[in-house]
Amino acid sequence: MLSEMGSQLIDLCSALLLLTCFAIVAQRRLAACVDLFALQSAFLAGTAALVGFLTDNHHVYVTAAMTGVVKVIVIPVVLKKVIQRLNVKRELVMNVNVPVALLICGTLVILAFFITRPIIPLGHVLTRDSLAIALAIVLIGLFTMIARQKAVTQLVGFLVVENGLFLGATAATHGMPFVVELGVFFDVLVAALIAGIYTNRLQDAFDSVDTSHLTGLKE
Amino acid sequence: MTDWSVTIAAAMLVVAPLLAGGLSLAVRRPSLLHVINLTSMGLLVLAELLITRMVLDDGPLTVLGASMYFDALSVFVLFIIGTVGLACSLYMRSYLDEQVARGVIAPNRLNLFFFLFHMFLLAMVLATTANSIGVQWVAVEATTLATTFLIAFWRRRESLEAGWKYLILCSVGISLALFGVVLVYYSSLHVLSDVGTALNVTELLPVADRLNQHVLKLAFIFILVGYGTKVGLVPMHSWLPDAYTEAPAPVVAMLAGVLEVVAVYAILRIKMVVDHAVPASFSGNLLLLLGFASFVTAALFILVQRNYKRLFAYSSIEHMGIAMIGFGIGGTVGTFGGLFHLLNHAFAKSVAFFAAGNVHRRFRTVDIGQVQGVIVAQPWTAMALLFAGLALSALPPGALFASETSIVTALTVSGGGENGAAALPASLAAENGRMGLVTVFLLSAVLAFGGLIYRVTVMVWGTPQQDIVRGEAWTAGHAPMVLLIAALIGFGFVLPAPLRELLGRATNLLLLQ
Amino acid sequence: MILALVLTAAHAMILLAISPLLVGLIRKVKARLQLRQGASVFQPYADLVKLFRKEPVISTTTSWIFTAAPFVVFSSTLAAGLLVPVFISHVPLSFAGNIIALVYLLALGTFFLMLAGLDAGSAFGGMGSSREAIVASLTEPAMMLSVFAIALTAGSTNLSTVVHQTALLQGIVTDPAPHLMAFAALFIVTLAEAGRVPIDNPATHLELTMIHEAMILEYSGRYLALIEWASALKLTVLLSLMANVFAPWGIATTPEPAGLGIGLLVYLVKVAGLAVAIGVIECMFAKLRLFRVTDLLGVAFILALLGLVFFYILRS
Repeated sequence: MLSEMGSQLIDLCSALLLLTCFAIVAQRRLAACVDLFALQSAFLAGTAALVGFLTDNHHVYVTAAMTGVVKVIVIPVVLKKVIQRLNVKRELVMNVNVPVALLICGTLVILAFFITRPIIPLGHVLTRDSLAIALAIVLIGLFTMIARQKAVTQLVGFLVVENGLFLGATAATHGMPFVVELGVFFDVLVAALIAGIYTNRLQDAFDSVDTSHLTGLKE
Repeated sequence: MTDWSVTIAAAMLVVAPLLAGGLSLAVRRPSLLHVINLTSMGLLVLAELLITRMVLDDGPLTVLGASMYFDALSVFVLFIIGTVGLACSLYMRSYLDEQVARGVIAPNRLNLFFFLFHMFLLAMVLATTANSIGVQWVAVEATTLATTFLIAFWRRRESLEAGWKYLILCSVGISLALFGVVLVYYSSLHVLSDVGTALNVTELLPVADRLNQHVLKLAFIFILVGYGTKVGLVPMHSWLPDAYTEAPAPVVAMLAGVLEVVAVYAILRIKMVVDHAVPASFSGNLLLLLGFASFVTAALFILVQRNYKRLFAYSSIEHMGIAMIGFGIGGTVGTFGGLFHLLNHAFAKSVAFFAAGNVHRRFRTVDIGQVQGVIVAQPWTAMALLFAGLALSALPPGALFASETSIVTALTVSGGGENGAAALPASLAAENGRMGLVTVFLLSAVLAFGGLIYRVTVMVWGTPQQDIVRGEAWTAGHAPMVLLIAALIGFGFVLPAPLRELLGRATNLLLLQ
Repeated sequence: MILALVLTAAHAMILLAISPLLVGLIRKVKARLQLRQGASVFQPYADLVKLFRKEPVISTTTSWIFTAAPFVVFSSTLAAGLLVPVFISHVPLSFAGNIIALVYLLALGTFFLMLAGLDAGSAFGGMGSSREAIVASLTEPAMMLSVFAIALTAGSTNLSTVVHQTALLQGIVTDPAPHLMAFAALFIVTLAEAGRVPIDNPATHLELTMIHEAMILEYSGRYLALIEWASALKLTVLLSLMANVFAPWGIATTPEPAGLGIGLLVYLVKVAGLAVAIGVIECMFAKLRLFRVTDLLGVAFILALLGLVFFYILRS
């Protein structure tokens, strides 16, 4: 249904997203993490536009444009503002050091490929890899949230998870029904804004956005 | 009863909370806020009852261009939303007024509270009635977003912590569910041609047996883990006790009584689709696994709790575990028991948290060690607390006894499988394994019973410290407690015919009959 | 036979000729991005000529290794370069070695440079050598793995076969995702091996940070010229490897004059593009602290490993 070339291009774009994931995991500076997230979202928007072009699905163009606006511009700008206000430039504390984190992420990618293996030869999917890569990005995003302690990086991890899901939805299924995509966008945007408000309040209450300080509630 | 009346009723379900939310931001007088709230709740319940009637008369129906879908199961969940929601609204009247009077809540923040409360309701109604499982996902995530600030409403350090944990854990968990939804869509695209409706339950169910098994299995695991986080199943439960401790009492009652049910409902919807394509033992065993994990873990934690709100929180995890076990075993008895248990738990847990809220306001502490003699200080509340404790321990006057008994019965006789759909795995179906499960179940039940009853009686009896005000005036907030308790006792003896019919039909739906 | 000799000679000439140009190009890009005029792109040629004319000064404490090292480095790098297809997919010398030979020829040069750095007995030389050893030990596995990932697709470790097979494919490449992983890994490896920012800074002699410059601090005159040329050559070889193994489009698959011409032109464009990319990266990033270098090379290793594993998963 698709030219070999087209599906390869989509695979390539998905792989670019995965690459930025690794960069985020290896990156210690908060602001750079946000930049990388914006870059990843830009790749995502590109992938979506490509899928829209290849499958002639016009609503995918709209979601691509929304990704561009919301995830490449709005959310990174908001996060930058938050970071500026918090006045934290570096994130030296990591629960897991970088090489180990990378190894774990590598394992997660392989895991994702094995999980999706039984369902990949279904034929309908646009490409072979994109679903597996989408899952890999989701898993790496989850891992980032565990491995990092700053509220902002946890948020970036969450957004990476969302990017992975979005990639799965566009690349594997040419985009979900339009209503659903709109809803998902709305949710992500609101979640990011709410988390932004939280980081401010956490900063006010704890003088820190280090979530390892959040230990008041115990058994 | 014609078509348009259903449409209006269905639209009312959405419009009432939406309008109420908008108005809540606009008006200034607190009393007006309550009026709006109660009116919208009343309309919601009215619409819900109307639709229930229609569903019982004519079977499942779709309205508004097939965007909303009502069958016995979703109507049943709507019933819980309506009833507990109404109870909460009544309770909120006295609760919030007192908090404002005491200066705990600035009056202008009430607008925000009500706005979020209505959005929360709206999201739950949408999650229950949406035909598309994609829209359902959006709505469930929206419940997280609407409630996180309600949980952190006091803006203390601990509340912020609880709110943040809740937001992050639930959002992440739910992301996994979205991946599951994507997978379902991926498989349904092979079978259904219209991309716009390929996620609709009404489209999925008829063709479900032709969907790809591998994809559905994978999707179910993701969705179970995702929505399971929202239900608070072990091991995804860690946000739950924190959130339930920190949130204002009416909010907790909604979380524990309604939101958990909605999340379970979301899992059951997918289970119905999956069971068409994959033998029911697949989803059943996963539910059993999580159910037992939750039940046992929660029972152990109940034993060591020193904080009564956390005590009830773990009791929620325990009962959700029990309901999951019921759905996991399947069969008429198990599934019926599970659904019935959801209903009873919603009622009992609301009463428990209403009472806990009252106790907290009077004693200003959540430490069980510092609360004695509630019976002296607040006789009404004490009775409610005692009754809720008894009911949640599954003792006879409450209907939880009946539902838990039917689940354990199903567990004991399982393998017989009245309709083939229900069966434990072959290895477990062996006599020993089954008896082992029953033993674990009963042991956990005894542990939870002991822990709960002991703590509750410690709180209720005795004499309060000198500085605690004694005596309790009857307020509007007591009415819902009494009504819910009455309903619980009533259900224990005889289930009203329409409700029994509803439960029976929902059970049949779940058993794919 | 004659054809083979001519092609090989042309191959060597091209590599030798363009390598200083690439270095000049990178410097020019950096200068322009920093809003400087910058030296001409041909400045490295002038530098080499100048150095070749100067008399070398050799420390009395050194052994024969010190004088031999520049020749070993230069010739091993050139030999490695002859294994990498440049404008034609089948290099005449392809029988002489495969990917492993390539990696070890490059490693041989590095090894002698490290020895030479130690040989003079100066503090900086030893420091540079030890740092180079760290970097080299981390880059080599990544480099091997990333090229192996591609070798698996083609079913051969011979670079000429790999390039030839890939060039004849219909689509872009067989498996884009692992391809990209391996490419990214090799790109990082190239930055490290060629001593570029963010691993090393070729433009500074700050003792705290220098790696490559520290090793060759004792060299002067024609020896220094040879080493500078060899390092430019190494950069060229690595860029050629990236350009032609990962994106061999346009390369000549048969020895016909027109195809060869196009092949050469395309090659130059690709290599120049990569050089510009390196220049841009050098402007965008600061040099990493030595202890952070392991993180970056860790990324490269994991990516290469993933690329390799992907091929197994996808093709099994």
